[in-house]
Amino acid sequence: MAAVSETTSDGSDARRIASEARDRVRFEEEALALADQVYRVARHLAGTREDADDLVQDTYARAFRSWRQYTPGTNLRAWLLRILTNLNIDKGRRQQRTPDTQPLEEGDYYLYNRLEQTMPDGQASEERVLERLSQNDVVGALADVPHDFRDVIVLVDIGDFSYADAAQILDIPIGTVMSRLHRGRRILKQGMADKVGER
Amino acid sequence: MKEPCVDCDKCEELLQPFLDRDLTESERIEAEAHLSGCAYCNTRYRVEEDLRRFVHQAASERCPEQLKQRLAELAREA
Repeated sequence: MAAVSETTSDGSDARRIASEARDRVRFEEEALALADQVYRVARHLAGTREDADDLVQDTYARAFRSWRQYTPGTNLRAWLLRILTNLNIDKGRRQQRTPDTQPLEEGDYYLYNRLEQTMPDGQASEERVLERLSQNDVVGALADVPHDFRDVIVLVDIGDFSYADAAQILDIPIGTVMSRLHRGRRILKQGMADKVGER
Repeated sequence: MKEPCVDCDKCEELLQPFLDRDLTESERIEAEAHLSGCAYCNTRYRVEEDLRRFVHQAASERCPEQLKQRLAELAREA
């Protein structure tokens, strides 16, 4: 009887190992397929491209080590970004905390009105006003947005995460996500207007 | 150019939640009623939509191929 039981046990172990190997391969494939989306967020949470590269590598190294903690069928992209944001905090990137008092941000029409002023009378149009902005203006202004606001903008407006996912990733209430997004977008627009004004 | 009025100030406050579809029914009706007759706000709402797309596009960088290869190596090493 002992021999039969060992055989059964061996067979069960072999199936379990084979099943786990398949899960592991699937996890790797799915995680690697998300590299562009993870990097897109990392690029603006970290200060430089080099920092972003390090952050993404550290994120994937940790993910591959702790892949069993991921529940298949749940949001892998959010799971990876949760690791990434935690690592980013661990790295001390947040030494620059958001000041207690923020300058009062301008309203939502501020950017358009400023851009319109830079154009000759009568030449402003929806298309031409936005043509005043360059990719560098956006990237530069985004880097200047205080971290707490930038994190939310990057996750929602660039990473395409829902408010709920962003709240889970950053471990903050959903209402805080919304208020930071609202104010952060205004700060960003003010920054873009300043970039254009500097030229 | 039309000068903004008090209703435009209110409409400006509603811009982001309007585009996020995060207004109450009465706020949405209020915003749409104002937008239907206000070219000043209409233009700025449309530009805001375009601006969001522009920011998304301008700030989106693809993961460098070298880094992708490194990540694949990490999978094998782990």
